[in-house]
Amino acid sequence: MTETQRRWLSLPVFGTILVFWELTVRQSGQLKLYPYPSGVIEAAIRTIGDGSLIAATSGSLYRVVVGFAIGGVLGIPLGLLMGSLQPVNRALGPIIDSLRSIAPIAWIPMALLWLGIRGNAALFIVAYAAFFPFVVNTIQAVRLIDRNLVNAARALGASRALVVRSVILPGSLPVILTGARISLAFAWGAIIAAELAMGIKVTAGGSGAVGLGQLMVSTLYIRRDVNGLVLYMIVVGIISLLIDLLMRRLQRNLTPWR
Amino acid sequence: MSRALRSAAPLPVTMRAGVSLKRYLGHFEFVLALVVVGALWHLVSVLVNNTTLVPSPLRVLRAWVSLWGEQLPTDIIASLVHLGLGYGLGITTGMVLALLAARFLFVEVIVDPIAEVLRPISAIAWIPIAILMFGIGRGVPIFLIFYAATFPIFINMLAGIKQVDPRLVQAAQMLGASRRMIVTHVVMPAALPLILAGARLSLGVAWMAMVAAELTGADSGLGWRIFWYQEFFAMDKVMAVILTIGVLGYIFDSLLRALQARITRWSPNGSETQR
Repeated sequence: MTETQRRWLSLPVFGTILVFWELTVRQSGQLKLYPYPSGVIEAAIRTIGDGSLIAATSGSLYRVVVGFAIGGVLGIPLGLLMGSLQPVNRALGPIIDSLRSIAPIAWIPMALLWLGIRGNAALFIVAYAAFFPFVVNTIQAVRLIDRNLVNAARALGASRALVVRSVILPGSLPVILTGARISLAFAWGAIIAAELAMGIKVTAGGSGAVGLGQLMVSTLYIRRDVNGLVLYMIVVGIISLLIDLLMRRLQRNLTPWR
Repeated sequence: MSRALRSAAPLPVTMRAGVSLKRYLGHFEFVLALVVVGALWHLVSVLVNNTTLVPSPLRVLRAWVSLWGEQLPTDIIASLVHLGLGYGLGITTGMVLALLAARFLFVEVIVDPIAEVLRPISAIAWIPIAILMFGIGRGVPIFLIFYAATFPIFINMLAGIKQVDPRLVQAAQMLGASRRMIVTHVVMPAALPLILAGARLSLGVAWMAMVAAELTGADSGLGWRIFWYQEFFAMDKVMAVILTIGVLGYIFDSLLRALQARITRWSPNGSETQR
């Protein structure tokens, strides 16, 4: 079976599941308790109409982009340093590895204490999540560069600056971009987790900056709207798909020789 | 032959000194970095002079040691129970689905698109629904770990089975091997590197899902305990639990990595993964 045939075959699979789902919930008669497809569509129309979905999504995305940028600005230079200087790598490697094993959102209490609930705490979590894939992949990128290319450039009389600019940077770019793709995906997962935890644990003192996670919490505890919850989940999924697509395209355009 | 080996074994003194010096230096750099980081942390804590805002490393260390006599063992066990149940269920589901999808086309046609649709929806996005379904308690972390762990192992195992060289299977068939024998002796060993890589990826995401789920929707475990101590503003204990999470995660990953390296020592692509 070819790829296109399979794509077409998945349509009836989904159609059947959706129809079956809708009918089962309608049959049970408990429309308030279980989510169902037409209810999710209704919720989509409602939340897009009153602007709350767009506002929350763009709030979350804004923090993801800023946190991602912070992670890259700190992570790429550190990775370059650790990749090219063995002593630095030996010294910092274990520290980076153990910090990496801490789930970013475990830092939430400290982040809340240090930065307050007005969005900056979530920013810290996102930057933390994005930082490590950048470091790890940049180290890898530098290691993967063909030594012969560097030596050849040096032998042809290239200066150190020229070698860095026209051999090491383009040579490591593909792997660094892979790191960026993983970073952005991590960052998106982290922002949702951070906003959920903040929304659940910090109910007093107002919700501060609102994102998709806080919207989920208020939908869960205040509005008790299961269809809305499913809708937000789908939005989370669509955005991570779009992020992946965008980063892959970027990778293709920036490194066409791969 | 053996005599030659034996006579070569004791290294010249200078070389041995060189080797041990190098090893010592490797340690030395790490110890130096630890000391520098600790000193910086201590300096910040002295400058801020607020044990709640920035507890000093010594305070955190003391809190960590005393926690072993209090709740920390209970929390670790609770987390490990969540992880064990969720990860075990997830790995089993993923492997069974991958096997079925590799064997029966109709299973693949149904399961593969569903996996493709669900995979981008991270486990974390399920937290509100999971709280609604299971209530605050053990159900939320177990479900989330299960969900997070299922996909990497499924995708990697299916890819692993599919990339088995068909010539190997044909050769075994021609030599008269039964179907069962081909699966156990040809396909599984050839797919093993990717299966193990998938298991390791699964554990990584499962660990993150565990912490997130315990923070938001559980009443036990390390993640839950973080917020418990935060309520008392016992930040030295919060830091101690956070560091425990890091150390445990690091240990688990190292164990699986060692296992992976040991089992697939023969494989040239032992560390390749599908994401």
